[in-house]
Amino acid sequence: MFKKVLQYLFISSIGFPLVFLLLLSLSRSWQFPAIWPQQLSFANWEFLQKSNAQLFQTFFLSLGISLLVAVTVTVLAFFISKEIAYSKRKSTYLFLTYIPYLLSPVIMAVIFQYYFILTHLSGTFLGVALAQFLIAFPYGVLIYINFWNKQINELEALSYTLGANKWQTLKKVLLPLSKNALILCFFQVFLISWFEYGLTNLIGTGKIKTLTVSVFNFINEANIFYAALACCLLVVPPMILLYINKRYIFIKR
Amino acid sequence: MKQSSLYKILFLVIVVLPVASGLVYALLFSLGIIGVLKQGFNVDAWQVVLFNKPFWSSIGYSLYIALVSVGMSLSIALSIALSWQKQLQKGFLSNAIYLPLCFPATVMAFFGFHLLSKSGLLSRMSFNLGLSQDINSFPLLIKDSLGMGIIFTSILLITPFFIILFASLYQNEKIPSFVNLAKTFGATNRQILRKVIIPILLKRSATTIYLFIIFVMGSYEVPLLLGRQNPQMISVAVLQKIQRFNLYDMPQGYAMSLLYVLLILLILVVLYLNNNRLFNHQNQ
Repeated sequence: MFKKVLQYLFISSIGFPLVFLLLLSLSRSWQFPAIWPQQLSFANWEFLQKSNAQLFQTFFLSLGISLLVAVTVTVLAFFISKEIAYSKRKSTYLFLTYIPYLLSPVIMAVIFQYYFILTHLSGTFLGVALAQFLIAFPYGVLIYINFWNKQINELEALSYTLGANKWQTLKKVLLPLSKNALILCFFQVFLISWFEYGLTNLIGTGKIKTLTVSVFNFINEANIFYAALACCLLVVPPMILLYINKRYIFIKR
Repeated sequence: MKQSSLYKILFLVIVVLPVASGLVYALLFSLGIIGVLKQGFNVDAWQVVLFNKPFWSSIGYSLYIALVSVGMSLSIALSIALSWQKQLQKGFLSNAIYLPLCFPATVMAFFGFHLLSKSGLLSRMSFNLGLSQDINSFPLLIKDSLGMGIIFTSILLITPFFIILFASLYQNEKIPSFVNLAKTFGATNRQILRKVIIPILLKRSATTIYLFIIFVMGSYEVPLLLGRQNPQMISVAVLQKIQRFNLYDMPQGYAMSLLYVLLILLILVVLYLNNNRLFNHQNQ
């Protein structure tokens, strides 16, 4: 009985942040000592699109950056990780990959920010996408590295022996086998880009307003209701990805 | 050019070049050779960073936050993963446990702020229950010297990950079979837990635990919102030096970031020399 109660408490605590943020995003006032936010209505959600904040545009801008970064890393890391995995100097390549992987993204942004200013990429959509690509790429390589094992190598060799060319081997052998790794890499990189704040703010110089940047802007303006609304929008795509992952990918496995 | 060489060059351009060129710039700037200040070669910034307290207290504070957060997360995750194995394999909890992974650090930090601050949810509940007289009598849980707010939020962020990891390791490492074997040899439940289950789980997840300690040390959004001015975690301290209006602080910011990168490199070299699993992915 006690175990059951604890479990229910734990499950409620998992969902609680979401419920709390949703309530706060629907509210217009939360004065001390009221426990729950007051004056609940959809006014915040409606007002945002009409105001200068244009949070839905921000949402799609963030989505655009994250999709661009995720697709580019998923494709490029696929081919480059193969070279590394079968290389004689694999451990050296992995060592080099772990350096940017382990560094805090915001410190990475600090050290290469100058080159973004020099090339006029600072404060641009492309600059932010490129900076995010640079920090997400090592994740991509490390996700794929275990996929390129001896078995895959032998299957590829078999395909060539049976007369397939490079394109056919890629399309008929490697891509179907790597489907799960590709999806995992895409999801992971999308989330890294979607969750990123420090690097985006520094390279974007505040001009590229992604959702995470907007949350901090609203917090600085002491507008907790809009900040909560932006937080809710931030949680939506990861939840959709999670649903797709659990519903379609795990079941197929 | 062969395709293989092209990919290797691309790897160097994407992975090595940005870090290397960034480090060169940071070094030259910190030595006064380039940058807006261009004071000429000097080691003033390095002297301040190396021999004054702020940098080392930032590193120490970041390490303290990371060790306490990861340590507490591990204890909570182990307790939950071991107590609710069946529920974590099947049923509602097995799906619900993935939900916190959807929360970015920014969102969790915002939630932590409105839960723990003096005007936050806990303070309001405590006031309504008569436990605190007014807003100021509620204890300081964020922007405090012990970093309780940062630790709490970091735990919220990383514990679900460790629960999922331990629950899956429990099955993949065939721990139930080891438990049965230990029982056959007459081990008590306590002995099985201490000598069999926990050592296997911690050993298999050791690399991930090291990585998480480094990740938490470098976290930025959570301490930015929930931390105080002094001591600061390393990412926040570096950013403040770089972005502050006083241009003369910038060389120190670059020197600090360079030292932080060197520290990470040192950890990696130690792991590399110890033949850590990180670098030995088997091509089986």
